[in-house]
Amino acid sequence: MSETPDLSTIFFYIITRGLPNTLVLTIFGLVLGFLLGLALSLMSVYGSIELRWVASGYEKLLRGIPILILIYIFRWGMPGLFWYFESSLDRGLASVVLALALRSGAYQSQIFRGAILSVNPGQMDAGFALGMTRFQAFRYIVMPQALRLAVPGWSNEYAVVIKDSSFALDVGIFEMTKAANQLTVNFPQLLTMTMVVAAIIYFLFTFPVTKFFGDRQTKKLKDLGMGGN
Amino acid sequence: MKREFAILGLVVALGVGLLGGWFIPSPITTPEGESLLSQIKTRGSIKVGTSADYPPFENYNVTLDLIEGFDIDVTEMIGDAIGVDVEWSDIPFDNLIGACLSGEIDMIAAAMNYNAERALQLAPSSTYFAVSQAVIVKESSLLTITSLDNLTNYQVGVQSGTVMQEDLEAIGMTVGINLTTFSRADLLMADLDIGGIDAAYVDEPIFAAFNRTYDFKIILSTPSEPLAFWTRYGEPELLYEINNVILDGYESGWIYGTITTWFG
Repeated sequence: MSETPDLSTIFFYIITRGLPNTLVLTIFGLVLGFLLGLALSLMSVYGSIELRWVASGYEKLLRGIPILILIYIFRWGMPGLFWYFESSLDRGLASVVLALALRSGAYQSQIFRGAILSVNPGQMDAGFALGMTRFQAFRYIVMPQALRLAVPGWSNEYAVVIKDSSFALDVGIFEMTKAANQLTVNFPQLLTMTMVVAAIIYFLFTFPVTKFFGDRQTKKLKDLGMGGN
Repeated sequence: MKREFAILGLVVALGVGLLGGWFIPSPITTPEGESLLSQIKTRGSIKVGTSADYPPFENYNVTLDLIEGFDIDVTEMIGDAIGVDVEWSDIPFDNLIGACLSGEIDMIAAAMNYNAERALQLAPSSTYFAVSQAVIVKESSLLTITSLDNLTNYQVGVQSGTVMQEDLEAIGMTVGINLTTFSRADLLMADLDIGGIDAAYVDEPIFAAFNRTYDFKIILSTPSEPLAFWTRYGEPELLYEINNVILDGYESGWIYGTITTWFG
């Protein structure tokens, strides 16, 4: 083993080796969770009673399962699930993405449900008055506002998913926490420093996003007279 | 009330679905008829699972950006003998057996001791190396023992899923040992260093690797135990290839060079 790495080496090692997979997990988890969450929120706001049961049951179930249990189920419990991926690493990534997306979908559906409901129902009626169908009124009047209203809550969800992507280390995926762990296996004396650096990197990738999309967008929405006070 | 029933029904349905899914994928991963060895040859790679946080047996070297170690070198020889590449999967130690049973990996190379309970689940190769275990404490510790039984009432750490854990649990049944299990060796060592546990029970070469950083000492060594590679049962052709490489290693002597490289 070569000489002890310094602070900047640790920083760049975690970024260059770990960040790509962390971002893959986060982005795919969020985007798939977004599609799922949006569908669930539509079911729970506009759906028939049965669809509402399904949406609400799904949310309750997925919000009650630890993410690590989901990852274990998809990775070790159902190893044939992603058989069409050639490499074991891709199968691992896919199973973690699935776990993150299913769980995030449950939370995101709550965010979108709240956002849709906070658009004044009178606007929907106004759409009907203009001769729009229910779908058109939703598509052109309610949804653009709802998505905008959902942005601050959604940025919170990003912060949750990027941090939860660190659980992937337990199924052998080389993301940022795993990179930090491997550094401490190679250089046990650097455990504290490595973990502090990893914490700072996570913070750097979380704070600006929540700051921009959370605080700034909330203010902007207020200026536009949308959302609550 | 109706609503609650619907939700309960959904939960049950999802549970049944997940359990069902657990059984269904098996035929997908293991096609019938063809032996694992010929599948490996067709694929051009053998999928080997290891837990790359266990120097000098297997470790992810962050400086060189590759997995290296004694088990790695021997496994590469097995790959060469079969004429395929080795595709490494870095899996936590206590998940390796499950991964091999499920077909996620073809073989385990992770300094895994031969042990009767494991042999019920997976097929062991011939022994390729033997390693002794050691009870280690901080250099400043005053603890002395003559057998594992003396660890009664002490807080002892082991890596989860290892034979060391099984040994201590068996003894702990009668004399009562406070056992703490760790998923990784480096965390076990870090905990011993900060005084979270009084002693750790580990493979001796691991002690040597980590003692370059920490200040530990051995207070008890146990006799060497054999290590084996592990595959699924019913694959005699693969096992034959693996055993041949081990045999050749000791017959022609190349394995002694590998031992010197990693264990000094």
